[in-house]
Amino acid sequence: MKRKNIITIEKSAFVVLLFLSLAACEKDFLERNPIIGSTLDNYYKTESDAVAAINATYATLQFEMTPAGHFRWFWGDIMSDDAVKGGSGDNDQPQLAALENFQGPTNTEYLEAEWAADYEGIYRANVVLEKVPAIEMNEQLKARILGEAHFIRAWFFYNLVTIFGGVPLADHVLAPSEYNMPKASAEEVWALVEADLRAAAASLPVRSGYPASQLGRITKGAAQALLVKTLLWKQNWAEAKTIAEEIINSGEYTLVPEYKDIFTTAGENNSESLFEIQYMSESGGNWGYNSNNEGTFANVFQRARGQFEGYGFNIPTQDFVDEFFKEGFEDPRLSSTVFREGDQMGDRGLFTKEAVGGVNVFDFYPKKFFNNKAEEASFGDPNPNGGTNDRVIRYSDVLLMHAEASYHAGNEGAARQSLNLVRDRVKILEVTATGPALLDAIYHERRVELGLEGHRFFDLVRSGRAVAALGGLGYVDNIHRVLPIPQSQIQATNGALVQNPGY
Amino acid sequence: MKLKILLLLLICGIGTATYSQIKISGKITEPGDPSGLPGATVVQKGTTTGTAADIDGTYQLSVPDENAVLVFSYIGMKDQEVRVGKLRIIDITLQSDATLMEEVVVVGYGSQKRSNISGAVSTISSEEITELPILRAEQALQGRTAGVQVAQNSGSPGSALTVRIRGISTINDSSPLYIVDGIPVSGIDYLNPNDIESINVLKDAASSAIYGARGANGVVLITTKGGKREQQGQVSYDAYYGVQSPWKHMNLLNAREYAILANEAHIAAGRAPLPEFANPDLLGEGTNWQEALFQDAPIMSHQLSFTGGSDRSLFTFSGGYFGQDGIVGGAKSGFERYTARINSSHQVKKWLRLGSNLAFTALTRNGLPENNEFNTPLVRALNIDPITSVRKYDGTYNYSVYADTDIANPLNAIEQTHDTWSSNRVVGSAFVEIELAKGLTFKSTYSLDATYAKQDLFFPKYDLSIDTTLRDAPAAERSVTNTVVKSDYTWRNWQWENVLNYEHTFNTRHKIGVTLGTTALENNFVFLTGSNTNLPTNNVLDAYLGNTIDPRTSQGAGDGISEASLLSYFGRVNYDLDDKYLFSATFRADGSSRFGVNNRYGYFPSFSAGWVISREDFWKAEDISFLKLRGSWGQNGNDKIGDYSFTTIVYSGQSYTFGPGEIITNGNAPLEASNPDLRWETSIQTNVGLDVELWNGKVNFTGDYYIKKTEDMLSRVPIPLVVGVRSPFQNVGTIENRGLELSLQYRDKVGEFKYSLGGNIAFVSTEVISLGKGGEPIVTGNVFSAGNVSRTEVGHPVAAFYGYVTDGIFQNTEEIAAHAFQNESTAPGDIRFQDLNGDGIINEDDRTFIGNPTPDLVYGLTADFQYKGFDLNVFVQGTQGNEIYNGIFRYDFFYTNRPQSSMERWRGSGTSNFEPRVNLNDPNFNARASDRFVEDGSYLRIKNLQLGYSLPQSLLGKLQIQKFRVYVSAQNLLTVTKYSGLDPEIGTVGGALELGIDQGFYPQARMFLTGVNLTF
Repeated sequence: MKRKNIITIEKSAFVVLLFLSLAACEKDFLERNPIIGSTLDNYYKTESDAVAAINATYATLQFEMTPAGHFRWFWGDIMSDDAVKGGSGDNDQPQLAALENFQGPTNTEYLEAEWAADYEGIYRANVVLEKVPAIEMNEQLKARILGEAHFIRAWFFYNLVTIFGGVPLADHVLAPSEYNMPKASAEEVWALVEADLRAAAASLPVRSGYPASQLGRITKGAAQALLVKTLLWKQNWAEAKTIAEEIINSGEYTLVPEYKDIFTTAGENNSESLFEIQYMSESGGNWGYNSNNEGTFANVFQRARGQFEGYGFNIPTQDFVDEFFKEGFEDPRLSSTVFREGDQMGDRGLFTKEAVGGVNVFDFYPKKFFNNKAEEASFGDPNPNGGTNDRVIRYSDVLLMHAEASYHAGNEGAARQSLNLVRDRVKILEVTATGPALLDAIYHERRVELGLEGHRFFDLVRSGRAVAALGGLGYVDNIHRVLPIPQSQIQATNGALVQNPGY
Repeated sequence: MKLKILLLLLICGIGTATYSQIKISGKITEPGDPSGLPGATVVQKGTTTGTAADIDGTYQLSVPDENAVLVFSYIGMKDQEVRVGKLRIIDITLQSDATLMEEVVVVGYGSQKRSNISGAVSTISSEEITELPILRAEQALQGRTAGVQVAQNSGSPGSALTVRIRGISTINDSSPLYIVDGIPVSGIDYLNPNDIESINVLKDAASSAIYGARGANGVVLITTKGGKREQQGQVSYDAYYGVQSPWKHMNLLNAREYAILANEAHIAAGRAPLPEFANPDLLGEGTNWQEALFQDAPIMSHQLSFTGGSDRSLFTFSGGYFGQDGIVGGAKSGFERYTARINSSHQVKKWLRLGSNLAFTALTRNGLPENNEFNTPLVRALNIDPITSVRKYDGTYNYSVYADTDIANPLNAIEQTHDTWSSNRVVGSAFVEIELAKGLTFKSTYSLDATYAKQDLFFPKYDLSIDTTLRDAPAAERSVTNTVVKSDYTWRNWQWENVLNYEHTFNTRHKIGVTLGTTALENNFVFLTGSNTNLPTNNVLDAYLGNTIDPRTSQGAGDGISEASLLSYFGRVNYDLDDKYLFSATFRADGSSRFGVNNRYGYFPSFSAGWVISREDFWKAEDISFLKLRGSWGQNGNDKIGDYSFTTIVYSGQSYTFGPGEIITNGNAPLEASNPDLRWETSIQTNVGLDVELWNGKVNFTGDYYIKKTEDMLSRVPIPLVVGVRSPFQNVGTIENRGLELSLQYRDKVGEFKYSLGGNIAFVSTEVISLGKGGEPIVTGNVFSAGNVSRTEVGHPVAAFYGYVTDGIFQNTEEIAAHAFQNESTAPGDIRFQDLNGDGIINEDDRTFIGNPTPDLVYGLTADFQYKGFDLNVFVQGTQGNEIYNGIFRYDFFYTNRPQSSMERWRGSGTSNFEPRVNLNDPNFNARASDRFVEDGSYLRIKNLQLGYSLPQSLLGKLQIQKFRVYVSAQNLLTVTKYSGLDPEIGTVGGALELGIDQGFYPQARMFLTGVNLTF
């Protein structure tokens, strides 16, 4: 009997011990933080953290599928009279066709994706602007990083204000209580863009001030050029002219001798490049949101279908091609801008309609984002992303902006001089016009020189010519100068955001 | 002479043996029927000595001594044992074992008699599980129990199944918790269905609340076979072989019809028809791509098992092989599984029991892309034009000059696919059970579930061009580089569980049961992958990572790792008064590393009660032999919320390129906001039920009604995008399910003809009550040519179809002018969409809910017939009231093939009011998401029809064989459905909100099998 009791006690003690040992290790047992990757609390402490933070901000410049497409040429070219949607047919991205005919619904995934990508870039820039100042590090590098962040934030707000007008002014990392931020006025957004660009221009090195290894980083010239653009929108002609002249006189930029060389792979980051979004083709085949690739989908989207292995979007219009014949001869830049039947499409073969095949075959295909088969990634995807850099601001753009600003500022001589620098490069007659004819010549030059580079729609709106050019497509000036705020965002903010008038 | 002596000796020997034996005889009957039970068996326990009753139920048997114990048995009856003693004539009346109420049901951390259960628990027996040849254990649940909906995700061998207990109760993961022999396991594809003794499904919250934060979607408890005490050793061999074939082809355009429509479309678009289609009649039938795609494929299974038990030790050994090829791609979608199992337990001391279960599974699965409209063989075969031949004249695969981008030759694509998943998995546990005092036991169990898996992928180079220098084939038919990807996955989960159990009956009236326990559990996952492109050779045998001439640019690598832990305390008290009044209460506290620091522990209570009215003294209705009312209420949780959702990770890989060499330079950024308040989803469920048994078990009825509300449902509440990071998961939404579950069984016999009929039906309605602040609908279900077709919105079911409502075809321009504006280019022959908001313009505001992918009811019917040695089993299963969005056809392309119904196109006023005109373009967007593509997905399917024959016991007894049965069986013999696609049985693929959209599901095969069961 006694023995049995002892066994029972021993057994019970064993059980109690088991339960106790479990309770003892409880706290640590349930604390599981990610094994790979830092958490927000233990990051932004060192110089390399600061560099990684600004690099991640640059990464948002590449966003063009988040997850829907929102290419610069969607808004700048397809929305304009220069190009139409294209694709395999009417049911290939139908909302885009609706948008370009100004019948767009207010909740297209493209606009939502644009909005999302812009604000993601702004968020990352805000993180840099808030976290990096406190990091102990090389002060010169810190100033540069903050300048880069100011520029990138300005770039995204510039996109937002030109596409949507007034938008929420998220100039800092938002607290949950601020999520339902209402719109600021367009003027307030422009003011932030301007202030950011001035701050960036003040702290960024000039192009030659960067070591070669840092090629692709934002320069003082880029900040100044975007500031000139901003000032044109605001019709601050005098200052636009002054700052454009600072760029011109900096000696950092010259026009590339041959126009056709600008858009080749060799022509990336050339002597007339002020702001160029870097892409490379060999980083992997994954599509989609924030994916780990450094490629652009502009190449595959814009190439002709069929043998040319593209999706055939951004199709140049006859009206656009006609612009190159306005002066009584074929402007030499046409053959660098548009493929016509019989043209050689690089190493992919001769452009014939048979080679394109399918239902939607067009007379023209865009050329500036054409890449050769040989330049394509080797990772096996039949429709891989490409490596063509997006030439956002070129020196000829700066010269033409200078011309436009000078004209409005009353200095026609300076206007003609800059305009003719651009024309001289392609060896066509210098313009001698004066008055409104000179302005028209500048506008013509912009359309031809910068065709299919994502400028046209915004140039038309900015200069008040949109009704004339796009009225036939359904453009109504006081409505369509901006696109609708994505309906999902109005819902997500419980209506704190208000739809743009007319939509 | 010598021979004679030997013979004499033998005869004498036998004679001696015979002499000492006792002869027993008697008659075996059943209650109320003195005519006898022919074929009933008598076996001396612990031996193979036995016999079967004659036609009049009588038997004769000899046993060696008076200690012999006879076991009398008959199918459908309870075994009865009698010690011989002084008896020489033993007449036996066997009792029906049909009283389901007496069966023992496994519940969480214990077992109970069904009659004493006050929650909602369903049981599936091993007979039902092995009745039809099933590949995965989940299939055994399909159609067998009310309220458990099972759908095959795909007919591809080895593919997962979607299991939903009481409907979809969250917009996140609704799959149940699987517990096999007490071990929580991630998926049960490793189980050999033959090894399963029983499956018990805990449906209501009171039954599953003892699993706390993991129990919200119901719990499936699986018990594997062990030996039985004092069981004579038994060897079983079960095998079957079968042939699978497709049961349906879709009706598509043939070459002639295709050309006719192409010509009309060109003319309608103002373009010249293609010259090669000038005379469509010459093109004839063209290529039937479905015929080329589908093939017959074998399926087979072999299983060998040994069981036995003494008074102290029990054991089971089993080994099995299962192999199945696919009806698409054959071995390219083939599946093979080897399983081995050892279950044993030992009574070491009177108070000490030890045991272990160990299962090993090796499986290999070859995969083809499934259910997307871009690269699946099915979508390609259904969309590629019938003009193109499968092969060129030289025998190589042909390419289509018409089909666009994604629509490559499906047969070549299959041949170029090399995707093999293979895994080795060990699930094992060991336990110690100590009897501390009478009725008080302590059990400690440690278990491990470890899976080591790898995936081998190879994408070879190929080019279907006639002249590869001209690259005449389209891009999708050419692969210019080859790539090999090899990935290793390791899942390692351990659990340590300690449970105290106390059972006692006071004064013979008060039965008390108490269970207390703790669990510690850890999940680990490690992933490692490497890739290599541009291999110098293009042979799959050379597809290894080191096969490179330029490692720097061709090789890549990646990895991932995560872990999670759970620490729990739980308890249960049962109290039964006179077996009439039943009470049970449970409580569990779950601490999980997945929950935010502010909400580390969740607490889950439950209560249930039952009243066995038929045991009351006042109960006089003898026909109703058992009647019980049940009610329960409980709370539990869903912890499938991701391992680190509560924190904000600063992700690397947010890269950009710098420098002339385009150097990829790393960047780090947070991608989502954090939520330290993150916790489990809570489900609160009330259940009332009724169990009725009539005429001593001839009829059994069970009914349950429940209301299940899932609160704190996790959703990434769409925070405004202006925030710049993805919204964190927040506990915001509410979904409510209400359902009624009925099941009925009837068993009877007429002479030697025995039969049973059973049916179950479950009605469930799901409504989204809340999606958090703002309540913005969640839009999912992307169909390439139509956009998103599914929407989860407050007041509606989960992931319901959303789109335009068609209203016939515009017959003339007057009708267009009279209708709301659709498009400038809308022309007669285009679809008229309803102007739901009456604003005179058809736009997105005119969309509405156009279908529900979730059935109103799911049912299963079984019928078993036995006559002498023959048995026939019919199993029917189906759904009613669900819709399918048919997203098979690529309307974003024109030159792809179309359903044959396109021939009914509009060709002029009055010609058609449902099939629009053909045109190269579609300015009216006739292909937009609309009810035109929403089809009735209801179906009724004869899942299994099986005819078997067992050799009579009289013959087998002589051969010392207990059972020898052969059978033939047909699966998916007949499917009744209005759905036009290849298979109406569609599961969930992709996210939880991708329901009922057919984007080229791999259809289930029709199978004919023949098999054998042998036990000796």
